[in-house]
Amino acid sequence: MRSSILVFGMREGADSMTDMTMNESNELNQSQAKVFFPDPLPGQERFVAPIEETPLREVDSVDEDVPPTSMWADAWMTLRHNPMFIISTILAILVILVALFPSLFARQDPSACTLANSLEPARSGHPFGFDLQGCDVYSRVIYGARTSVSIGIMTTILVTILGGVIGAVAGFFGGWIDALLSRVTDIFFAIPMLLGAIVLLQMFRTSTSLWKIIFTLTLFGWVNMARITRSAVMEAKNLEFNTASTALGSSPIRNLFRHIIPNSLAPVIVMATTSMGTYIVSEATLSFLGVGLPPTVVSWGGDISTAQNLLTTNPSVLFYPSAALAITVLAFIMMGDAVKDALDPKSRTA
Amino acid sequence: MGKYLLRRILQMIPVVLGTTLLIYALVFALPGDPVAAMFGDKPVNQAVAAQIRSEYNLDKPFIVQYVLFLKNALTLNFGNTFAGQPVVSVIGRAFPVTVKLALMAFVFEGVFGVIFGIIGGLTKGKWSDNVILVLSLLLISVPTFVTGFILQYLFGVKWHVLPATAGANPGFMDLLMPAVVLGSVSMASIIRLTRTEITSNISEDYVRTARAKGMSNRQVILRHVLRNSLIPVVTYLGADIGGLMGGAMITERIFNIQGVGNTLFQAILRGEGTLVVSIVTILVMIFVICSLVVDMLYAVLDPRIRYA
Repeated sequence: MRSSILVFGMREGADSMTDMTMNESNELNQSQAKVFFPDPLPGQERFVAPIEETPLREVDSVDEDVPPTSMWADAWMTLRHNPMFIISTILAILVILVALFPSLFARQDPSACTLANSLEPARSGHPFGFDLQGCDVYSRVIYGARTSVSIGIMTTILVTILGGVIGAVAGFFGGWIDALLSRVTDIFFAIPMLLGAIVLLQMFRTSTSLWKIIFTLTLFGWVNMARITRSAVMEAKNLEFNTASTALGSSPIRNLFRHIIPNSLAPVIVMATTSMGTYIVSEATLSFLGVGLPPTVVSWGGDISTAQNLLTTNPSVLFYPSAALAITVLAFIMMGDAVKDALDPKSRTA
Repeated sequence: MGKYLLRRILQMIPVVLGTTLLIYALVFALPGDPVAAMFGDKPVNQAVAAQIRSEYNLDKPFIVQYVLFLKNALTLNFGNTFAGQPVVSVIGRAFPVTVKLALMAFVFEGVFGVIFGIIGGLTKGKWSDNVILVLSLLLISVPTFVTGFILQYLFGVKWHVLPATAGANPGFMDLLMPAVVLGSVSMASIIRLTRTEITSNISEDYVRTARAKGMSNRQVILRHVLRNSLIPVVTYLGADIGGLMGGAMITERIFNIQGVGNTLFQAILRGEGTLVVSIVTILVMIFVICSLVVDMLYAVLDPRIRYA
């Protein structure tokens, strides 16, 4: 069975109105129709196509035999057909593979450098040439992926958990809990992420652990996530299905986990995907400022930072890690865009 | 409106207190002894060190230091830097430069972001939209400092179009390139935001109504689509002023501008708590006031919002 909405063939808005009135007026008696639609004045006549020439057509049809799909299945359908999502996913998977198994892609040890090779141009086996210390740029680019990708992914996970929990608690319980948590959020919101990160990381300048960056970025990055989760939870909390569920005897906590959280996940997922790229850029920026990872850790940010002085003489040493960083960030941002399009049907209509 | 304004101003107090306390605690926890570092290679003279410590209240417990700092800050007496200059005069010298830089970046990102966003949104799917979209994505994914290096090299070093570094008392031309670099990432975000808003608003019912009323395309776009699309853009711009001040740390380092960012960065490296917290306090105040102004602007832009 199909249900559909039928409209008249439309050539122009005004004409179709006349079409409709012509059609209806057949059923009304002529004098009644005259009252509503008086004869046009001279010069105001307009052509109205007969109904045979502009037949009824379907503009919207729903196949009611197909089982209803959830929002997630619908989003997945949209995503699978979005070329931007396919390209960005392939790129992201490639980057993650490189990060997981760098030895499959590069044979050279990124830390084995011979000064004799300093700034040598590319040659067989070393496609990107050598940097100032005589390290192979290609293998440094490959091995640097792990640092950036793990910082990006781990920070995103921690930010989502921390911001999500704080936002959900504030939005769900309201009252003084919300007031308190919102003030805490305001305090962290007023500190620019970079500024807070520099002050904090200054203390751990010599540490080579990735966790110092991950925790710092989480500490100053959870605010936006908390705000978004809070508003999504507040919106979902007041929807009818919660009242229905309460009437059926479910406890508020059960409502929270069974109904509210699943219904407020969409903006959180969008935010998480798009912000992953930002964290990767932040790590590079912190390394550039000299408060990120020390030069002994192979990372794109560190390599870009050390290559900055070579820009005038050997721009390629700067170019390759920058390009790798940009491609990775681009992949995650594009993926976030595609996910946003799929989860937000309103932005899809156009 | 007046009541709402008062409530918001009262809410600002815990935010400013909390933020300064947080930063003060972080700076206080910095390892290393800044006083010992002042002596450099020479042996530390304990009497002098003790005198310096008491002058900067470093011998007192953390919370006392913080309260003393707050008390003095209320009278704009931020004390002296370790080098002996009054903090107020250091800030007074650095601030105008950064404010100039941030304002130029702000105007740049606002004007070009909105213009390109409108072009992209109105020509969705055409080549102009695709070019704008790809360029804005590129600007977001390349870190600011790389963009900065490349522009500095091309325009400053290779072609000699603009000065490569700014130095002291920079003029408009000196700050042009730094401002473009500083505003570039935010501009890309504004392009994307404006474009998304326009494409979603243009299919709204009220746009169809406006067209059905016989309004010209120009009127529909200007009066209905733009006015509704720009509300989130204004929010973004307002929140971005704080970000610009923070981002100035990178730009000022690349182009050697003696502004707040550079001063702040040097102060963090030296562990000069007073100077760091003084600058951060001012930055936070600017940020909080900007977000208040943005909320007030809402009422002007969106007639549905009325503050009681």
